[in-house]
Amino acid sequence: MPLSPLPSATCRNEGCTLTGALSVTTAIRDAISIVHGPPGCAHHTFSLFHGAQSSPWDEPPIIVSSGMGEREVIFGGEDALAAAIHLAVQRSPCAVMVLSTCVAAAIGDDIAAVCADLEQEVPIVHVPCGGFLGGTFNDGVVVALTTLTRLDKSDYPHPGITLVGEKNLEYEAESNYHEICRLLHLLGHHVNLRFVRGATMDDLMRIGSSSLNILREPALTPVGERLCKVHGTPYLPSFPVGLEGTLQFLRDIGECTGRAAEGPVDQEMKGQRLMSETFHDITGRRVGPPREGGEVAEALTVELAETFDLAIHETAPPFPMDGSLPVGTAGISRLLHRWRRMVRA
Amino acid sequence: MRQVALYGKGGIGKSTTAANLSAALSFQGKSVLQIGCDPKRDSTRMLMHGDLIPTVMDLFREQGERGIRIEDVVFTGYSGVRCVEAGGPEPGIGCAGRGIIATFQILERLGALSGDVVVYDVLGDVVCGGFAMPMREGYAEEIYLVTSGELMSLYAANNIAKAITRLSGRGKRPCHLAGVICNGRGMPGEEDLVREFASAIGSSLICAIPRDRVVQIAELHKRTVIEYSPESAQAEVYRELAKRVMANDLFTIPSPLAIDALESLALSHLQE
Repeated sequence: MPLSPLPSATCRNEGCTLTGALSVTTAIRDAISIVHGPPGCAHHTFSLFHGAQSSPWDEPPIIVSSGMGEREVIFGGEDALAAAIHLAVQRSPCAVMVLSTCVAAAIGDDIAAVCADLEQEVPIVHVPCGGFLGGTFNDGVVVALTTLTRLDKSDYPHPGITLVGEKNLEYEAESNYHEICRLLHLLGHHVNLRFVRGATMDDLMRIGSSSLNILREPALTPVGERLCKVHGTPYLPSFPVGLEGTLQFLRDIGECTGRAAEGPVDQEMKGQRLMSETFHDITGRRVGPPREGGEVAEALTVELAETFDLAIHETAPPFPMDGSLPVGTAGISRLLHRWRRMVRA
Repeated sequence: MRQVALYGKGGIGKSTTAANLSAALSFQGKSVLQIGCDPKRDSTRMLMHGDLIPTVMDLFREQGERGIRIEDVVFTGYSGVRCVEAGGPEPGIGCAGRGIIATFQILERLGALSGDVVVYDVLGDVVCGGFAMPMREGYAEEIYLVTSGELMSLYAANNIAKAITRLSGRGKRPCHLAGVICNGRGMPGEEDLVREFASAIGSSLICAIPRDRVVQIAELHKRTVIEYSPESAQAEVYRELAKRVMANDLFTIPSPLAIDALESLALSHLQE
């Protein structure tokens, strides 16, 4: 049940399902993730996470590799995976997430059967990704989130708003979260569950009781659809993008939750005017068309150009949206700060 | 050193043909190494009088590559034929093709690929790059297709010809199709059909091995025909095969048939 038109742009249509899935499962505070494959696959991802400047982790997450080598490729890696699961369980996590690489997927290891056959005291959760086999980074995120939705325990009575699929590797993940919190607060709401960023296994089990899910971006629509189908939870397809998009986000939240949005929208418009005044010095400059981000980035560029009386010109520096689109009014403010530094330099 | 590989449909008689070919070559005074490239590890069983020798992959699994010695994997069988079995995983798990690649790398490092003739006996279909390994990297330069006149056997042979065509242009010592061996099932007109098939794909029939009960009897006694019944007509056929293989210098890049053409060929030789 999407509540607004779906922009199609996403920056996550490349890469590897393993990295995408790991970016979700390693953000569960009390679970351990196992990478079934060669040690290099775990090392590569661990290095990426370790180097990430914004993360939900107090310290780098524990990633256990099943350590597949030539022997496991030839004779099958299922025994090595079982050994890795035993090793992980000894660390007393609340759950073990089992993810696969393309090497294990290519030789056909039956990972689901290994996970199902092992009798352990904690849940052994098979996240069915397979490196490049099975899609891209975003497919890995979707499959991990979808897998975790199945952990729901319907007896948890904690209705509220859930953020689904925050980008755990993006630099501004926490800033974006605080912006969403600020906007929700205008309507008297707060975030009940971050699915999944720093959550515990117990937290995740109340995903089904959410009264509204807010997806990080439209690429996560399959997750929103599943939660809608299984639990009847409505969802918004994206964090807000653009000045008007932010106001519409408030209206959508109000409509979904039965709260009046006129007052919060007026308040936010005032805030946007105040923010705009701090950028009066950019009026009349030239801005380039966006290099990435598709139609949404183009529409945002046009909106900001009209707001600040900028001329869009092919050779001018574009707004720096290479990583991801800015979230809310605060995201636009940071975007304009960065762009102003660029054009002044 | 001549390196020949026998490919063909599973159960068509490659291992029997290879073992008898190796035995016959040894009686020509050749130093022969036979390498079984099938996880079933039964290529050299007749040469080893029924013994299933330890495979390269057995040793690799137990102790890793380090520590494997040439005498651990090369065993001398009937008439001095040296025997190696690649081995591989249990059915339904792991990657047997990767096992073949690893076996070749190990044998190469051990310097085990030596002698006048190396005979590779390879799993039925070239199901992945691993089973094409004997055709690659300059190992077997001469590929023989073993087939009967049955359509599915010809279909498999034609499929292998596709792999040869694909791989023949690669490397410093590319592989070629050296000929077709008809391992007869007793079908009427079988030899003519296989000869025409060989011609159609740009090769020739090297030898037609008739169906003979002595082959099964020799196998039950865990012997090659060359050893069990050296005076038999069948043993003479294998000796002739060995002579023709050593004399053969007509190596080609095959032109595999389209499936329709293959079926039409088989149908045209149907004798009810």
